[in-house]
Amino acid sequence: MRDLHRGSRPDCATPGFRSVRPEARRVPPPVGTLGSRRGGDWLLGTSGSTMSVPDYMQCAEDHQTLLVVVQPVGIVSEENFFRIYKRISSVSQINVRDSQRVLYIRYRHHYPPENNEWGDFQTHRKVVGLITVTDCFSAKDWPQTFEKFHVQKEIYGSTLYDSRLFVFGLQGEIAEQPRTDVAFYPNYDECESVEKRIEDFIESLFIVLESKRLDRATDKSGDKIPLLCVPFEKKDFVGLDTDSRHYKKRCQGRMRKHVGDLCLQAGMLQDSLVHYHMSVELLRSVNDFLWLGAALEGLCSASVIYHYPGGTGGKAGARRPQGSSLPADTGNRHRPGALTTNGINADTSTEIGRAKNCLSPEDIIDKYKEAISYYSKYKNAGVIELEACVKAVRVLAIQKRSMEASEFLQNAVYINLRQLSEEEKIQRYSILSELYELIGFHRKSAFFKRVAAMQCVAPSIAEPGWRACYKLLLETLPGYSLSLDPKDFNKGTHRGWAAVQMRLLHELVYASRRMGNPALSVRHLSFLLQTMLDFLSDQEKKDVTQSLESYTSKCPGTMELLSLPDGLNLPPVPFTKLPIVRRVKLLNLPASLRPQKMKSLLGQNMSAKSPFIYSPIIAHNRGEERSKKIDFQWVQGDVCEVQLMVYNPMPFELRVENMGLLTSGVEFESLPAALSLPAESGLYPVTLVGVPRSTGQISINGYHTTVFGVFSDCLLDSLPGIKTNGSTVEVIPALPRLQISTSLPRSARTLQPSSGDEISTNVSVQLYNGETQQLDIKLENIGTEPLEKLEVTSKILTTKEKLYGDFLSWKLEETLAQFPLQPGKTATFTVNIKVKLDFSCQENLLQDFNDDGISVSGLPLSSPFRQVVKPRVDSKPVNPSESSKAGDFSHVKTLEAILNFKYSGGPGHIDGYYRNLSLGIHVEAEPSVFFTRVSTLPATSTRQCHLLLDVFNSTEHELTISAKNNEELILHAGECQRMAIQVDKFNFESFPESPAERTQFTNPKQLEEERQEARGLEINSKLDIHWNIPSLKRHGEASVEGILNQLVLEHLQLAPLQWDVLVDGQLCDCDVVADCRVGDPIPLEVRLTNWSKRNVGPFALTVIPYQDYQNGVHNYELQDAITFVGSNTFYIDSVRPTENSVCLGALLFLYTGDFYLNIKFHEDTTSKELPLSWFCLPSVHIRAQGPDLQA
Amino acid sequence: MAVCIAVIAKENYPLYIRSIPAEQELKFHYTVHTSLDVVDEKVSAMGKALVDQRELYLGLLYPTEDYKVYGYVTNSKVKFVMVVDSSNTALRDNEIRSMFRKLHNSYTDVMCNPFYNPGDRIHSRAFDNMVTSMMVQVC
Repeated sequence: MRDLHRGSRPDCATPGFRSVRPEARRVPPPVGTLGSRRGGDWLLGTSGSTMSVPDYMQCAEDHQTLLVVVQPVGIVSEENFFRIYKRISSVSQINVRDSQRVLYIRYRHHYPPENNEWGDFQTHRKVVGLITVTDCFSAKDWPQTFEKFHVQKEIYGSTLYDSRLFVFGLQGEIAEQPRTDVAFYPNYDECESVEKRIEDFIESLFIVLESKRLDRATDKSGDKIPLLCVPFEKKDFVGLDTDSRHYKKRCQGRMRKHVGDLCLQAGMLQDSLVHYHMSVELLRSVNDFLWLGAALEGLCSASVIYHYPGGTGGKAGARRPQGSSLPADTGNRHRPGALTTNGINADTSTEIGRAKNCLSPEDIIDKYKEAISYYSKYKNAGVIELEACVKAVRVLAIQKRSMEASEFLQNAVYINLRQLSEEEKIQRYSILSELYELIGFHRKSAFFKRVAAMQCVAPSIAEPGWRACYKLLLETLPGYSLSLDPKDFNKGTHRGWAAVQMRLLHELVYASRRMGNPALSVRHLSFLLQTMLDFLSDQEKKDVTQSLESYTSKCPGTMELLSLPDGLNLPPVPFTKLPIVRRVKLLNLPASLRPQKMKSLLGQNMSAKSPFIYSPIIAHNRGEERSKKIDFQWVQGDVCEVQLMVYNPMPFELRVENMGLLTSGVEFESLPAALSLPAESGLYPVTLVGVPRSTGQISINGYHTTVFGVFSDCLLDSLPGIKTNGSTVEVIPALPRLQISTSLPRSARTLQPSSGDEISTNVSVQLYNGETQQLDIKLENIGTEPLEKLEVTSKILTTKEKLYGDFLSWKLEETLAQFPLQPGKTATFTVNIKVKLDFSCQENLLQDFNDDGISVSGLPLSSPFRQVVKPRVDSKPVNPSESSKAGDFSHVKTLEAILNFKYSGGPGHIDGYYRNLSLGIHVEAEPSVFFTRVSTLPATSTRQCHLLLDVFNSTEHELTISAKNNEELILHAGECQRMAIQVDKFNFESFPESPAERTQFTNPKQLEEERQEARGLEINSKLDIHWNIPSLKRHGEASVEGILNQLVLEHLQLAPLQWDVLVDGQLCDCDVVADCRVGDPIPLEVRLTNWSKRNVGPFALTVIPYQDYQNGVHNYELQDAITFVGSNTFYIDSVRPTENSVCLGALLFLYTGDFYLNIKFHEDTTSKELPLSWFCLPSVHIRAQGPDLQA
Repeated sequence: MAVCIAVIAKENYPLYIRSIPAEQELKFHYTVHTSLDVVDEKVSAMGKALVDQRELYLGLLYPTEDYKVYGYVTNSKVKFVMVVDSSNTALRDNEIRSMFRKLHNSYTDVMCNPFYNPGDRIHSRAFDNMVTSMMVQVC
């Protein structure tokens, strides 16, 4: 199409955006409103000779319409006028009486008179009817009003067939007069007969039309056919030879064309086709191109009307199908016997003729092209050409031939009319946009719409129409495949024409701001920032955020749906990319606040869940559940945390304010945070906190932020690529909170979390071995619920050290007496820490001492001698690990234990939850004193013995050591001394052994160890050895348990066979001296009590008296001095356990003196299997005295 | 000599767009964007033709006052759009065609890169150089 014009109109090669036509025409005053849909509506009448106002809304069918102008005169309110106008224009087609022809009426309320002057060229441009509407309230105004009507008539006078005046408000005499051209109505509400009046009026128009048609059609060879011409031709024909054949032909051709137009208007399609064909023939021969074009266009129009009775204008109701007789089918061009607008015509010849006359759809376009090429030869016919292009485009749109349509449109773009006013430009671009839309060129349509929008606010316009601009811009959105819903951008990376879309968004922002709607501009700007972030340069990001901040300072961005007056809704734009959230993790409560379920209840739950221990189906389900549900709980009233990993994509610091959680399910008090993220930060953890105020399932749905003054609610579901460990967690009822503080200093070091428990507090203390420290723990309920239950358990972390006695001991009763503990109240709880470790187990140290040859001779060891030991050990080339372990005396052993406070209370307790608070206790035990060696010496009494202990002071302080009833022994630092303690022997067998213990330690070795430990304890408590460091004012116990070996134990053990020797009824033991009189027999009794578990005996005992000369000589030859009354040998039968056997005898001392009795077993009677120590009988010391002379 | 060369994905978003007067980039964006209407139309009209007989070169899409816009569509519906200065009358249809062929070859090379994700913007130096050569030198 463009090539078509190349040669003929080179000046038009530059397109229509720039008006370069030299003969710029007078610009009519731009009046009217943007957006009115009928092209003619928007210009008031102007005068002139060339048609300059195109009607972009024209379509081919308009050729068959009659143009009627409806105008107000005088002062008529717009509202009233358009009410009437609407009613009038509803009568747009009329079935003319006594024929089946249909008349179509086009109504205009404005029509430029210079367009009217082209009425001969194309009769549908001619105003044939005028209806004026006026208000007139008094009879005296009437003549004036009527005069105005006449003036109005004058404007279109030359072409009018008929006219009407509708007078509203006038009543009375004048209104009574029946007049055909004037109708009176009392007011705008009572005018039922308007439609009828219009119909009458149209019929009168038809009569004139029909008469004109017949008139012109019949005088074919009449006298002289007048030359019809368009306004700008008039001067060209001055002085032309009117008698030439050429001129006549021209007149004929033009008249034919005119008749064709009239026929078409009068509803005689077939006739019009014939006339047009004839006209084309005639005009072609005389090269009358302008009119030839018009004739061709007429042909096209008639064919289009025939082919497409549905219309091409796309205006609903513009063309109603004429009754049911007309088929809706359009495209089929070969339809013999088809129905026409004239109804059924039996004459087949006309039918054939029509089929021939009527153009095929392809031909229509060809003829349009031809017509347009002819029009384009005339600069003054620009409007005609433009309108023809538009009409052709509409036809092509119906034919779905978009490519050709676009060529026509392209051509239309290049047609320069004159210097267009801004409104006209807007009009033009809007129409181009609409037409492009019509042929499916959405992008092109959007382009022109945008140009139109920009035109609305061109700087040359005094009052820029920002509102219209904004409205038009919104309409371009689909063309740029841009929706204003940020959800559409969530799927993956944004793909589109970012540069173009960004431009459009910027324009929307600007237009909405100028419109005075800051909320809209904030919304658009947010949208721009959110969706186009990846495409914005750093500088643009800065600029956009700056302007956003300045907008939001006046109108903060909200999360509400913004509704535009025309029904478009702008969904809220949450800033999910400012910052970008990569991961959402719900955090468990800190270990000390974590609720735990009572075991028993948990067990019930588990068993109720499924009868199977394991099922793959259940496991699978659980896996799914886990994705959403979390296996820990939150507690009502306690601060809960959610950790977000956020990322700031901006090249500057991002301030995020009011960042909080969005939740559902549970009443939740969110505690918003404000944060500031450095530019292009990496992943940055942010913890959002809140307090659940009720119980149940809480879902973390998202978070809210305020960035640059825009509130955003970001839902996790809509965030792409987010990692989460689930978003639903259970909130259990409130529990009390316990805080503990201790008398001991807090320890910085934490315990090795070997047990998996998390320790909230650590205390540490340094103790000497054997020392006892009291730990006061203050329990404070800092929660809001009463603390009702408390359980304390301790756990000693695995240590290789052997520990004696209770490390931690406490009495809970006193504390529990203060319960329930109301919020804010404090209770105290005391724990005793006792360190009893065995530091003496350092074998080679013991070895050293033994090597030194210290005998158990009872000599106190000299301290200087001891002191050489230490360096010697150090220098000893033993293997290094052993030396480092053993050689260091000041080796500090550590003991670690955890005190667990399980507590509960309030509603959480009812639901079976408790909390666990752990206190880590770290004790550094330093050796105080230890016993390097132990041995026994038999005491004088068989029931007692001497325990010899080598005590070593490994502290750096002087200390004193004391046993139960001994005096204190002073030990200097590093000194070793021997102390002897006389102890009663122990009867270990009498210790009760609980059956539980027996079953627990089924291993005999363990059983033995346990027993030994018990013995050690017993011995320890008997010995009760204490040390005291006066300089430090510290004291403690010293324990011998570790060093007691089997041999020593055996010595310390009371024999199971208890031998009692009674002299004169008096129990004799080592130190007791029995007194007797010479000459009197003394009864001697030997009693055996069997404490062992088996039968013993029989035994034979012989009593051998002797005298000790204290010089190592024993005199056994005492037959002269002592006489036995009875036998000196006793026989004891077998004695069963726990029974006793008594042997009685008597002695008679003949001389005074000190005698000893040695009771001996006969060797053959002593059973071999019994240990010798069982047969240890006390020696008896008897002092025989002479008879008391005085007595 | 081309003033703007664009590669447009099947889904009609730009994979690559480059223009010589960089200040007017947006203008060329608009030009290429609107030309897609014509491309779509031509492709849909061609769709009826047999695939193997399809001509990839679409010819002149539309002329504007200063430029001519040419189109080319691959079998995978990737579009190449070239904007040529209309004052440059030396350029014939055949030369345009050969330029498109070169562009297509280079694009194929880009696609052969295992590190290129189909659908991403093209950031290839080789492709860039080729486009630059087409923009500068008269083919």
